[in-house]
Amino acid sequence: MTDMDPSKKVADRYLKREVLGEGTYGVVYKAIDTHTGHTVAIKKIRLGKQKEGVNFTALREIKLLKELKDPNIVELIDAFPHKGNLHLVFEFMETDLEAVIRDRNIFLSPADTKSYLQMTLKGLAYCHKKWVLHRDMKPNNLLIGSNGQLKLADFGLARMFGSPDRRFTHQVFARWYRAPELLFGAKQYGSAVDVWAAACIFAELLLRRPFLQGTSDIDQLGKIFSAFGTPTASQWPDMVYLPDYVEYQYVPAAPLRTLFPMATDDALDLLSKMFTYDPKARISVQQALEHRYFSSVPLPSDPDKLPRPAPKRESRVSDFNLQEGPAVLSPPRKSRRVMPGRDGFEGNSQQADKVDGSFGDFRQTTDDNTGKNESAPMSVDFSIFGLKSPNRPTINSADRTYLKRKLDLEFQQPE
Amino acid sequence: MAANFWTSSHYKHLLEQEDVDMVNTLDKEKGITLEDFKLIKMHMANYILKLAQQVKVRQRVVATAVTYMRRVYTRKSMAEYDPRLVAPTCLYLASKAEESTVQARLLAFYIKKLYADDKYRYEIKDILEMEMKILEALNYYLVVYHPYRSLSPLLQDAGLNDLNMTQLTWGLVNDTYKMDLILVHPPHLIALACIYIASVLRDKDTTAWFEELRVDMNVVKNISMEILDFYESNRMFTEERINVALQKLTLRP
Repeated sequence: MTDMDPSKKVADRYLKREVLGEGTYGVVYKAIDTHTGHTVAIKKIRLGKQKEGVNFTALREIKLLKELKDPNIVELIDAFPHKGNLHLVFEFMETDLEAVIRDRNIFLSPADTKSYLQMTLKGLAYCHKKWVLHRDMKPNNLLIGSNGQLKLADFGLARMFGSPDRRFTHQVFARWYRAPELLFGAKQYGSAVDVWAAACIFAELLLRRPFLQGTSDIDQLGKIFSAFGTPTASQWPDMVYLPDYVEYQYVPAAPLRTLFPMATDDALDLLSKMFTYDPKARISVQQALEHRYFSSVPLPSDPDKLPRPAPKRESRVSDFNLQEGPAVLSPPRKSRRVMPGRDGFEGNSQQADKVDGSFGDFRQTTDDNTGKNESAPMSVDFSIFGLKSPNRPTINSADRTYLKRKLDLEFQQPE
Repeated sequence: MAANFWTSSHYKHLLEQEDVDMVNTLDKEKGITLEDFKLIKMHMANYILKLAQQVKVRQRVVATAVTYMRRVYTRKSMAEYDPRLVAPTCLYLASKAEESTVQARLLAFYIKKLYADDKYRYEIKDILEMEMKILEALNYYLVVYHPYRSLSPLLQDAGLNDLNMTQLTWGLVNDTYKMDLILVHPPHLIALACIYIASVLRDKDTTAWFEELRVDMNVVKNISMEILDFYESNRMFTEERINVALQKLTLRP
C-alpha cells in the first residue's frame, strides 16, 4: 500500500509520500504539491462496493468544503480522478486536538485552553453563518496545523440547514458529544447541537479527559443529568414532546464548580451557557465568541505558541519540506492514533485503544512521546470489545446500521 | 438565506448570457447551431424530469440535475459528452448531492423503460464513469440555489399566497429550467419574474409591491420577457426538430 517512490507523480502535480492512514472511505497519504511546494494530504476515495459511484459521504464533504473557505476550516485544495478513483487534496495538518488533550507531557495553560476553544468556535461560527451544521464535532476532528492553527475537519456528516421543516437524522455526533435533544430523538434541530458538542470539547480541555462518557444513549443522558441535574419543565419546556423522551429520576444539579475546580468564573459562566438544556436558550456560537471569557485575562495564547505533541520519532525527512509533524495523521477522519493504556494514571480514564466502531476503519498506530513503538490492535468493531473501559465510540453499532441506511447509501439495502 | 447566496459559489459563477450561448467548437463542426444547442438542452431537461418522476425524487433534485447538465455544457461539448448519458448521470449526482439518493440500477432500469431507442441505452457502469467526468466538469461545485425557496416567502409578502397563485408560480419556476436562466440570474430574481408574470396573467396589481422591493425591476422584466418568449416559441420545438439536432451529434463531420 505504501508507495514511497518519490518519482511517482499523481495528476502531474503531486509527489506521493507515505501512507498516513485509512480513512472512512479510503487510504490517506502524504504528498508534496509541486505547484506550491506545500505538503498535502490526499484522500483516495474508494468507489463504493455496491456500484454506487462516488461515495456519498465523500460527496457531501466535497460539496460543503467547496463552499467553506475560512482560516479555521480545513482547506480542500483540489480534487481529481486518477485511475478510476476520486482523490481529494487537503492541506496537511500535523496533529489534532485529541492528541493534544491526551498528551500528558503537555501542560495546557488557561490561555492555551482559551485559544483552542476560540479557534474551534470561530470555525463553527463560520459554518453556521453559511448554514452548515457540522454534526461531528469532537477533538479528533479538530486538526492542528504547523502554525498552531486549529481547523474543523471531517464534514462527512455535515448538512446544510435553514428550511425549518426539514427533518434530519438524530444519529449524528460521537455519543459523548451528542446534545440531549438528539439523545431524546429530536429530528428538527439546529446549530445548538454543535454548541453542545463544543461545550463537551471545552470541558475536555479543562479536564484533560472526555467529560461525559456514556456507554449507551440512555447512559449518556444519565451522565449528563448527573452532572447538571435532571432538567425541569421550566428549564426545558419542549423536552417532554421529543420522540424518545423518557422520564429520568430526579437528580439535583451540583454546582458546576465542583466538576471543574480549576476553572475561572468566566470559564464556568460560558460553559454553563453552552451546556444549557433547552436548545432554544442555549448560547449561539457567535454569542459565545463575544463572551467576556475571551476578552478577560489571560488573553488567548497566540496559536504559534500553543503546546503541541513532540515530533514523531521515525520521521522521514522529505527533501521538499522539513515540516516534521508529530504523529501525523492529518486529514479529516480516522487517521487516529491508538495509544497503549497507561497504568496508574487517572484510573478512570484508562484509555486503552480507542476504538470507534464508525465504519470499520483501522488507523495507524502511533505512540506518543514515549519513544516506544508499540503496536496496538488496529481496529475492530468496538462491539467485539463489549463493555470495556471507555472506548470512544464515534457511532455505536446500532447506530451504524441506521447510518448505513440513512446516510451512507453505498451500502445497498437488502431487497 | 439570501446572505448565504451572495457568498456562495453559485453566485460567483453566474455567467453572462453570451457565455452560456457559446456553442462548443467541436459541436459547431458537427453542424450544431445555437438553436439546436438550446433545443437539445431543453429536451434533456425534459428527459431528466421524466426520469425523476419515475424514480420519485423531489423537484429540487430535478432542478439541481438540470443545472448541472446546463453547467456541463458551458464547458464541454455534446460531441464528447453525450447528452443522453449526461442527463441521467446529472440526475444521479444531484440525487446524492441533495440527500435523496437514487440507485444507479434504478435509473438504468427506467432509462430502458422510457426509451426503446438504442442511443439512449446506457448501463450502470456508464453512469458511474460519467459521474466522475461530470464532477470534474463542474469543478466539484455542487451547491445550487433555486427560486423555489424564495417563492413562498415572496408570495406571502405580496399577499398572493393563495393556492392558485402558488401553483401557477411554482409551475412557471419549473418551466424556467427549460431555459438557461439559472446559469445567468440569481434565483430570487427568477422567482420574482415568475410572480410578475403570474400576477399579470391573473390581473393582480402588484406594482406597488414590486416598487417597494429593492430590486432592479428592469432585470426582473427582462427575465419575464425571456420566459414569455420561450412559451411563444415552445410550440415550434417539435420532436422532429429535436431528433434532427441529436442526429447531427452522431454524424461524422
